Amino acid sequence: MATVDISGINKEDLIWQIEYDSNKCALCGKCVAACTFDAIKFDVQKRRNIKSTECIPTPEKSETALPVIKQVVTKSKNCVGCGMCAKVCNNGAIKPVYNERNRMNVKYRALNAESPKRGGRTNLHTEGRTLDKIKVGRISQMTDPSLDAMRHTFELLAPFGRVMPPENLPFEIDPMGNLSLTKKIPTTRWIYPIIIGDMSIGALSPRLWEAIAIAVAYLNEVHNIPIRMCSGEGGVPEKLLRSKYLKYMILQIASGHFGWNRIINSMPYMTEDPAGILIKIGQGAKPGDGGLLLAKKVAKHIQEIRGVPKSDLLSPPNHQGLYSIEESVQKMFLSMNAAFKFRVPVAIKVAASVTSVSVYNNLLRDPYDIVGGFFLDGIAGGTGAAHETSLDHTGHPIVSRLRDCYNAAVHQGKQGQIPLWAAGGLGMKGTLAADAFKMICLGANGVFTGRLMLQIAGCLGDDYNRCNACNTGLCPAGLTTQNPILMKRLDIDKVAQNIVNYFLATDIELKKLMAPIGNSTLPVGRSDALVTVDKSVAERLGIQHVC
Amino acid sequence: MNTTIIDTLQDNKRLSTKELLDIIYEKIEMGFNEFKILASGQHDIGGPLWSKDGKPLVFHITNPGQRVGSMGMAGTKIIVKGSAPADIGWLNSGAEITVLGDAGDTAAHCQASGKIYVAGRVGTRSGALMKHDPKFEEPEFWVLKNTGSFSFEFMGGGRAVVCGYECEHLESVLSDRSCCGMVGGVVYVRGNVKGLTNDVDIYDLDESDKNFLKSGLMRFLGEIDRQNLYEELTEFSKWKKILAKPYDKKVKTVPYSIKEFREQKWVKDGIFSEFFGSYSDVIDVVNTGDNRLRTPSWENNLKTPPCEFNCPVSIPTQKRIELIREGKLSEALNLIYEYSPFPASVCGQVCPNLCMNDCSRKYIDEHIKIAPLGIKSFENVDIKMVEPYKNKKVAVIGAGVAGLSCAWTLQKEGYNVEVFEKDDEIGGKLRQVIPSDRLNQDTLNAELEIIKSSGIKFNLGITIDSDEFERIQKEFDVVVVAIGAHNPAVIPIEGKERLIKGLDFLKEINKGNKVKVGNNVVIIGAGNAAMDVVIGAYKTGAKNVTAIDIQKPLAFDKEIEHAKSLGAKILYPCFTESVDEKGVHLKDGTTLKADTVIISIGDRPIFDFIDEKYLNERKFPLVNKFHQSEVSKKLFFIGDCTGQGLFCDAIGKGREVAINIDNLFDKKELKEFKTKEKISLDEVKCAYYHTLKGSDLYAMDVLDEKERCLSCGVCRDCKMCMNSCPKGAIERVEMGDDFAYISDPNKCIGCGMCAGVCPCGIWKMTNNIEN
Repeated sequence: MATVDISGINKEDLIWQIEYDSNKCALCGKCVAACTFDAIKFDVQKRRNIKSTECIPTPEKSETALPVIKQVVTKSKNCVGCGMCAKVCNNGAIKPVYNERNRMNVKYRALNAESPKRGGRTNLHTEGRTLDKIKVGRISQMTDPSLDAMRHTFELLAPFGRVMPPENLPFEIDPMGNLSLTKKIPTTRWIYPIIIGDMSIGALSPRLWEAIAIAVAYLNEVHNIPIRMCSGEGGVPEKLLRSKYLKYMILQIASGHFGWNRIINSMPYMTEDPAGILIKIGQGAKPGDGGLLLAKKVAKHIQEIRGVPKSDLLSPPNHQGLYSIEESVQKMFLSMNAAFKFRVPVAIKVAASVTSVSVYNNLLRDPYDIVGGFFLDGIAGGTGAAHETSLDHTGHPIVSRLRDCYNAAVHQGKQGQIPLWAAGGLGMKGTLAADAFKMICLGANGVFTGRLMLQIAGCLGDDYNRCNACNTGLCPAGLTTQNPILMKRLDIDKVAQNIVNYFLATDIELKKLMAPIGNSTLPVGRSDALVTVDKSVAERLGIQHVC
Repeated sequence: MNTTIIDTLQDNKRLSTKELLDIIYEKIEMGFNEFKILASGQHDIGGPLWSKDGKPLVFHITNPGQRVGSMGMAGTKIIVKGSAPADIGWLNSGAEITVLGDAGDTAAHCQASGKIYVAGRVGTRSGALMKHDPKFEEPEFWVLKNTGSFSFEFMGGGRAVVCGYECEHLESVLSDRSCCGMVGGVVYVRGNVKGLTNDVDIYDLDESDKNFLKSGLMRFLGEIDRQNLYEELTEFSKWKKILAKPYDKKVKTVPYSIKEFREQKWVKDGIFSEFFGSYSDVIDVVNTGDNRLRTPSWENNLKTPPCEFNCPVSIPTQKRIELIREGKLSEALNLIYEYSPFPASVCGQVCPNLCMNDCSRKYIDEHIKIAPLGIKSFENVDIKMVEPYKNKKVAVIGAGVAGLSCAWTLQKEGYNVEVFEKDDEIGGKLRQVIPSDRLNQDTLNAELEIIKSSGIKFNLGITIDSDEFERIQKEFDVVVVAIGAHNPAVIPIEGKERLIKGLDFLKEINKGNKVKVGNNVVIIGAGNAAMDVVIGAYKTGAKNVTAIDIQKPLAFDKEIEHAKSLGAKILYPCFTESVDEKGVHLKDGTTLKADTVIISIGDRPIFDFIDEKYLNERKFPLVNKFHQSEVSKKLFFIGDCTGQGLFCDAIGKGREVAINIDNLFDKKELKEFKTKEKISLDEVKCAYYHTLKGSDLYAMDVLDEKERCLSCGVCRDCKMCMNSCPKGAIERVEMGDDFAYISDPNKCIGCGMCAGVCPCGIWKMTNNIEN
């Protein structure tokens, strides 16, 4: 018998409440059948009906027991608001409703003695984003010729790899009068200014991961968009490592070093070099915290690829054995450069934090020419799983930090030498091109994006607390699950097509933004093109304040 | 023609564009209609101009500036001798313009009517935005050689002809990225074409095209005086035509779809094929079979109803009521005798009915009428006695409730059972100490009579000493010791000799002996036995009875209420210091006035006939969990001699040991009881049942309990699941006398409605996606 458990959990405490109208319900069962979270179930509801219909009190009573859909209330696993029930309901009888007055923050901790975890996003909401306060305000009109986005030739290429300053290039004029190099220079790959990354196999379902890989290959091979994908650190399938498509893949090494055994052992069989190596030091969504893959997602194939048994997989918050920037340059950069005989550029990813400028300043002095890129990840980035407290209370917005890093390079006169790539909530409003363009104008060479791919693939979550259950392995869209049934919900071809389409649109949009400012190459650092009505943003970023 | 010659360089002075145009306007007004203009870079010569009388205007121009013939109108004919710079025929609206040399950029830009003939090349963006307004003649744009880049971009109508003469060496006679954004019109082109945008398609010529070109080329070549090329240029195999894609078919074409790419170009079978099969099995969110998120199972009887679970004898009350529901009345009422020979005495009267502690019905109105059901069974007793047919012999020492229960069960199993009892009558404490207020003696005697006539051999008035015990052990295959606890405990306080032992007190009363107590009686102890002493004390003349305890009394509420209703006070915590003629002195200094002090704090067994080796350090039998002696497999101890308990505990243990003795003889593993989980209240559905008000409830016959019992954990065959299933997946199948409900995995979507509506908690859902 349900009783009110005052000190326990009650429906009113929950973040999402199921709004259900039994008068509309056809009792078809689809909502319960489709719910991956066990958040609703059938139950029987008693209805007593007392009435008096005569001209004097004449009590008549009847009782009815009705099957109904009932929300399941537990102390740890409840409705996440994904809305799958509403999607499958033909009658509009059921939907989750966000409960502003929920008490889960208190109750979850009080009842479970655990830190709540979440996957997905920060839930910072998207209002007041710095990038939305910035407009492209310097439009070339009669002063200097603007370009035609549809017809002009644009070169949307960004460097991945160390860019040598001209004075350091070992050129000589040979006896024939030709300019030639006297020694090898670092490899620099000129790629599309958007990298998809870096989401691991494990965080993503194999289907989604492969859909992205296919979309990337397709964009390269069919549409000549030289986009790259970063593997994330959860291993890379041997079949991909040995295929020619490895060239589109940036391999990641994070603190867990998962899957590198297979990468190393595949080296003799590789027919192509990977596009690059990305050393992950930190992540914007949960800076200072290591990777987290909850046991529920550590399915058999993940265990195999990663070489670990089923358990919660917690990557250390930092690379074991790295204690200084110098050491990281020595150990990680040198070793990763050497791994592919200095043919493959190596970059590093850090969380945008107050200290990241110091790290960049330091790396800019790279005397060995082995630092091939600096990836900065801001607070609004996504994550497969994190403690809520990390997600909600740690991190740094990306925009000013990117700007600081760029300015630091300018200050040293070394801008462009170690390419800057920025991420963290870019594309949050759906238009990645605009965000990317503004970041580029502020000094980024390129940007990287991850969570947006999930949105493109059919994610039901949003920045208003909806779903965000990537950590549970119960993804209703089959995106972030390792369950063989759930992953079948994902149509690999449709998802790959959506991603391809999105980038085709983004490509047009980037040109639509480049043309009006008269740039046919990426306007890296062209902050003169940007204006803002927000004075503090203008001051902080050094762009024009307008009103 | 009325001809005039205008030389723009006069007296070494050049006319500006405006001056020249003003002269032309003036001369047209004057009636001139043929102009020979020796220009020196003046712009906009040739339009928009018309004569008042509608006669054609003809311009022969040398060395013009930009926009020759721009906005030219029908009736205007312009011939440029030599080349012309940018924008010839810009916005041409009907003029006929011939350039005998090359033309600059954006030639024919936005030409909407008229004809332009260029004897050489044209620059970038030529033919851009050409249009055709059907109200006017279709524009034509003829170029002998080639165009610059971006030619014909945004072209919307008209015909352009690029002859590619002497352009064989070029990669593309239309130069790079021709026809961007072209939406209409046609471009005929001879020679190499490359770098066309995706907006257009390229076709071979058909007959009407050829006819157009044949006549058009004749005219064009005539205009530019290159008739000699006619034959070469009408070699149509080198010609193509370019048309814009119709807007509704303007889809971006790709060489292969994603699916084709994945299947034909991508890593064979996918990069995860070592783990997963095909990607073609995309499923919806609602599925049947193996793709269901949850699967139902009909788990009838897998859990124990609370009544059976909580009963120490495991009496299946739910089953008894189910048999009533099935109309098997005698079976229903006699089923209890499989478990206990005391349905009326114990279940019906003295038992606190633990079985009803969690009765689900309690949460609707009141629990099942368990005591009346016991009495009803006794009233309708109809059991067949079994003659011993097994050759094994079992001795039971003690004819109390435990011993009788054990003997009863063994006897029904067909064993030779002999009971040895010290007293002259069987029944143990049930008969010896329970006040008649609480237990109808006629009923008790009747139940004892049933046991006596069951075939069990009773040896009464036999005191067992160690020799006799030895003998019995030798004579019988198994011996069960059930001697109870008949040594009342006393506390070592000053004046303890004044204490009357509660057990003895009650025994005396029940023997019918005259017992006398004073007006004020204090009872040390407030357990269930002490409450019986309270009853005894009042019965024997006490006026004020107080029961004290060192802790919250352990007696059941029912017993305490009974005692209080007689007037008893119950005090705690009270620590007795001493007892004297005044009464009981407590350690806190207070004195409870007492004429008689009775102690009832529990009784211990008397094992004077048993060797020490059978006992533990607390002088209780050394037994395993089956109540089997750790010393001898053939010896069992049950009842209060293993620790005091309730009558139902004693009955339960007696029965369990009897069943295990049977197992022992059959050389089977001894069995553990109560291994099934209890079904919880959450699993059954109270919502179906109507709450009854007390008087209605009391008016109901005990047999009507079939309407009230929720049948927890046992299918009541109501078909609720079958009729609710939205997919019609559930069928009822009969298997002999039994039945089952089965869900068809090919129809079931795993919605769990069966589990949700099942009144008895039988259908369970297994989650297929957890882990």
